[in-house]
This record gives sequence, structure tokens and C-alpha cells, in this order.
Amino acid sequence: MSLDAIPIHVIDSPPPEAGLTGNAPPLLHELAEQVRRLLDSGETSAIDLGALPLTPADLDWLRTGLGAGEIAVTLNANGESTLSETASPGIWWVTHRNEKGVVTAEFIEVAFVPELVKAHPQDVKIGLERLELLISDLS
Amino acid sequence: MEGPLIDTLVRQGVSRRTFMKYCATLASMMALPPSAGLAMAEAMASARRPSVIWLPFQECTGCTESITRSHSPTLEGMIFDVISLDYQETLMAAAGFQAEEARHQAMKENAGKYLLIVDGSIPLGQDGVFSCTAGRTNLETLKEAAAGAAAIVAMGSCASFGGIPRANPNPTGAVSVSDIIKDKPIVNIPGCPPIPTVMTGVLAHYLTFGKLPELDGKGRPKAFYGETIHDRCYRRPFYDQGKFAKTFDDEGARQGWCLFELGCKGPVTYNACATVKWNGGTSWPVESGHGCLGCSEPDFWDAGGFYKALSMPADPLKIAATAAVVGAAVGVGVSFANRAKKASAKSAHETTTLADLEK
Repeated sequence: MSLDAIPIHVIDSPPPEAGLTGNAPPLLHELAEQVRRLLDSGETSAIDLGALPLTPADLDWLRTGLGAGEIAVTLNANGESTLSETASPGIWWVTHRNEKGVVTAEFIEVAFVPELVKAHPQDVKIGLERLELLISDLS
Repeated sequence: MEGPLIDTLVRQGVSRRTFMKYCATLASMMALPPSAGLAMAEAMASARRPSVIWLPFQECTGCTESITRSHSPTLEGMIFDVISLDYQETLMAAAGFQAEEARHQAMKENAGKYLLIVDGSIPLGQDGVFSCTAGRTNLETLKEAAAGAAAIVAMGSCASFGGIPRANPNPTGAVSVSDIIKDKPIVNIPGCPPIPTVMTGVLAHYLTFGKLPELDGKGRPKAFYGETIHDRCYRRPFYDQGKFAKTFDDEGARQGWCLFELGCKGPVTYNACATVKWNGGTSWPVESGHGCLGCSEPDFWDAGGFYKALSMPADPLKIAATAAVVGAAVGVGVSFANRAKKASAKSAHETTTLADLEK
């Protein structure tokens, strides 16, 4: 059961005012630096949004500013995770959710491809075994 | 069931990406840099199952309940499953001599390497007769098991600080693990009960880095006990604005204002409830409308009443002393009046007020 199912609602909830703390804009400078590092040395980096004092309004501001790119990856593993490229290629907005859809962690990753998307050689090997089994069944 | 952890997980249908995601989330929760998630995934995937011996002493089994009911089948639960839990009186199938034999064997085979988990306090009064297993006092058992342990995890407030058994007047002479064991690394995971995620987080850290995480002055992992409930509370802005609920059913309570005046111990309690939450991230005490009891702090039971605001004098002994100076008769009179009021409220089924709930 989700919390929304409990019929208690806040009366006269405060208006969705700005709520901006000014903590989001400096992150853009940090991201720019990280993208430069990615181009120079291929070094990947990430910003843990959960560890920063950002209000929902700050996150919205950041999300809108970074925009949406061409690729969005959905990972179904113990709940849904989305890895979406922003309008700046190389910057990914990563949201992890649990089985109930609650956000458990949120990152901005700077990488050509996020590590989570790549297949692990060992898993590829297992996949190949499966494929070979499939082929051997044909004959 | 030997071999790297990841193999065991894969056999249980947990994919590598699920595991990586879990590690990323865990690293975030432990306030480790994002890169640590990946390091954690790599190290933990290849980690061997550590032998764990769990000794329950003067406890209520609440800590065990908390861990084992951590919304299975979560990864927390599974990781807990894949450790080699060689002795746990409540969970193990073996009993009597067989159980004791299993413990001795695990201690012998993994000497110097096993992780010892203790929940419950240790009674020292009357030579420790208040709590015995297999005819031996908890003190003896603890000393014996601690000798060969790589590290000790004190699970829950009782093992960490003495907890409720140690509450005034402490009839059994209960003490914490760190009061007895001085020569082993000990990590305190207080809480009544502690949050399951914190337990797995510490275990994950131990498997990844081969040592216990960084601890604070009270032996608690800083990653989870680094900040107060109050500092991470979503109701904190109301505190800053001076908006307080005065009773549990007033307008302020309905608006979700700060519970400070209703006795919330959030400002002096270090724990991760506000961020990690309970029941699989569903909610936590303050979100449910009740102040924090401060259960992860030493002697929380004797902190002067769950419904007294922190700004009120906390120590009942000090209050009594002041009353004695001002006029003992007044203090006694009030206490009698309260007791009478409580009794009459009970018989007349009146609404119990906040004052009735206090001592």
C-alpha cells in the first residue's frame, strides 16, 4: 500500500512557491568541469543529488535547465531505474526507484555511457553459453 | 554454498545490475562518494561469505525481528541470507547441545576471522545469573566468543548502551558490550530496534573494505549516525518558522508542523530514520505524527518523559531536588493530583491529555 492510499490530506497546503535555495546553479559549473575532464582523460564522475541540500524546486530547476537528450534507458532491476541523457551529451540523469516506485537514489553521471548500462564480460559469457545451447538444440 | 557472493546472488535470481544498483544506493545512503558504489559492487561481488556468530543476551528479539522482517525479499535480506550465520538461537534449527556444538565448531574453524553480532545487554549483578544460556552466564559466553572474533557488532541499544534492561534502577546490573570487551573493534548500531539497512550497510562496508566503517564518539558508524533526526527532518522548516503542534489533534498537528513541543527528541538523537525511513522506506515515526523517542541514544528510557519538550528540565531527579527546595509538599501534591486525575480519567473514560501521559 502506498502512502497516497491513506485518506489524509493536508488542508490549505502551502502554495508551490519558488523554494529555490540557490544551491543548484553552482552544480552547473561543477558539471562543466567534469565534462571537460571526460573529454580530456575519459574520466567519469557522478554527483549524488541525495547528499546535497537541494529542494524539489532546486531539482526541477536543474532538470529543466539540463533538458532532455535523445537517449533514455530504463532498467528493470529491483524496481525501475531510468538513465536519461540530458541535452548535453555525456551528462546523464540517473534515478533509482525501488519496487514501490519510491526514489531511492538520484545521481547526475558524467560518462559516455553509464557503467550500469554496459554488460559485464562475465554476464556476456553466460549469455553466449545460453546462445550456444540454443544453437545446439537446432541440429 | 562457498564461492563469491555474486554467484550466490545470481543463483537466487539477482542480476549483476540489480546488485550494482543496490550498491550505488547503499553508497549514497552511507554518504560515500558516488564512485564508492562501483568499488563496493566489485569488492562485494567477489567477497567470500564471512562466518557470523550472533549471540542474543538480555533482549526482546526485536532487533532480530527488525532484520529478518526487512521486507523480504529485499537485497538486504538476501545478503543477510548469504552470510554464513553459524549461530543464532532464535533462527537456527539446531537446539541444545547441537546448537552449542555448532557455535564451538564455527569459532574453532574461523578463529580470528568471524564477525560477532551481539544483541541484548549483559547482566553483571549477582554474578550474572539473570541471563544464562546452556548453563553459562552471558558474561562468560561473550568473553569466550569475543576472544576469537575479528570484530564485534553491538546490535541495538541494549548491546550498545545497556538499553532498557539498564533503565533505572537497573535491577540486573546490565551493561553494554563495550563495557566488557576492550581489546576488539566494536561498532555500535543502536536503535530500539535499529534500521535493517544500517545493519546491512555496516556488513557491506566490512565486506568491501575489510574493516569497520568510521565511527563517532559513541562507537556508531558516522555514515548513518552522523546527523541528528532534527537536521534531516522534513518538518524542520516548521521548527525554523516557529510553527509547532501543541497537541496531537490540533490544527498544527494536522498541518504537519514541528513536534518539538510534544516531546520530540529529534534534536538530540543521531540516527538515519529521517532519510532511510522504515518498512521499506514507507514512513517513519515523525512522518506518522509522533515525535522521536530518541531510542538510539544512551539511556533514552530515563531521559525524562517521551512527551516532555526538550526545553523542559529533563532529569526527574533534578526536578525533585528543585521541588524539595521550593517546597516539597507542593511537588508531592502535584504528583498525587496527577495520579488521581489519571485514575479518574480511566474510570470515566475521559480523553487522556498530554499531561496524563507524562510521569
